[in-house]
Amino acid sequence: MSDLFEPICASGLQFFGKVSASVSHELKNVLAVLNENAGLLEDLSLAAERGKPLMPEQLKRVSENFHKQIRRADDILKNMNRFAHSVDRFSAKVDLYELVSLISVLASRLAAMRNLTFVVTKPEEPVAFQSNPFLVENLVWFCLEYAMAREGGKGPVQLIPTKKSGKIALSVVGSAAFTEGYPEHFPGAAAPLAAVLGATLVAGDSADELVVYFPDRKNE
Amino acid sequence: MRVLLVDDEVEFVSTLAERLRFRGFDVDYAIEAAGALTLNEQKEYDLAVLDMKMPGISGLALKGLLAEKSPALKFIFLTGHGSEKDYLLGSRESAYYLVKPMSIDRLIAKMHETMGGKEHLGA
Repeated sequence: MSDLFEPICASGLQFFGKVSASVSHELKNVLAVLNENAGLLEDLSLAAERGKPLMPEQLKRVSENFHKQIRRADDILKNMNRFAHSVDRFSAKVDLYELVSLISVLASRLAAMRNLTFVVTKPEEPVAFQSNPFLVENLVWFCLEYAMAREGGKGPVQLIPTKKSGKIALSVVGSAAFTEGYPEHFPGAAAPLAAVLGATLVAGDSADELVVYFPDRKNE
Repeated sequence: MRVLLVDDEVEFVSTLAERLRFRGFDVDYAIEAAGALTLNEQKEYDLAVLDMKMPGISGLALKGLLAEKSPALKFIFLTGHGSEKDYLLGSRESAYYLVKPMSIDRLIAKMHETMGGKEHLGA
């Protein structure tokens, strides 16, 4: 464990930093839209002072833009808050669908830069287990980074929380050549994290699938 | 001054375009690289204001494609913000690397400076 402490801390900080940078970029974009719409209201007011009639449609459009961006910022901050609180407990019940959904949303801007989307499949039964939430998030993030590096522009990557033979698993399904980077390039830097979690990462039955198995640590 | 704005944030770029038109600029906008390249085929622009990070292509790469077709075109990067590396690259490849949100008066001042300080208002 002591040999793993340093890489785990380093990857955790990098993960937190990447998410924070992406979220701050998103919020900057929200502010930029609000700034332009506030400016447009000023422009319309000046025009009205000069005798040009105010058009109700224009005002409604600006108002809608404000509401839309406020909802967007609220969603971004709610997700960031959930993510930030994932470090609160060393061990907790992890709902894999909820966790993967959150991490895929946090990664969505970076994925969009690579023309990639993530689709999370909701399991019929809850897929939950006891573990360290932040470390599980970090391992899922590694999976998404691997997908982003390999699958850019190829179409959606499926993220499927499931139980395989009674084991908690996350199936990551990409294109036909998705597993070509395994095991040379993946898990790579994620290996210490997987070791600490007791997780195993394996190529699936087909060339488009990687599977991460998570142990349930409820008795530890 | 004929200006091409490129940014994947449609509410941002459409509103900025509207405000610049209000001030007499001849402005078109695109929300992705393919649209920007098509517009640049159809019309000769003086200045392109580009986002640094867009789906599928960086602002730097798009700048290269636009400059290849239109060697006289001048560039400003306008971005949410980026890393120090983005700043260094963006500053080297354009007249200005500006950070959103910013006042339209400041943006216009930088646009005029980029075009050599001349008044280019109107078509």
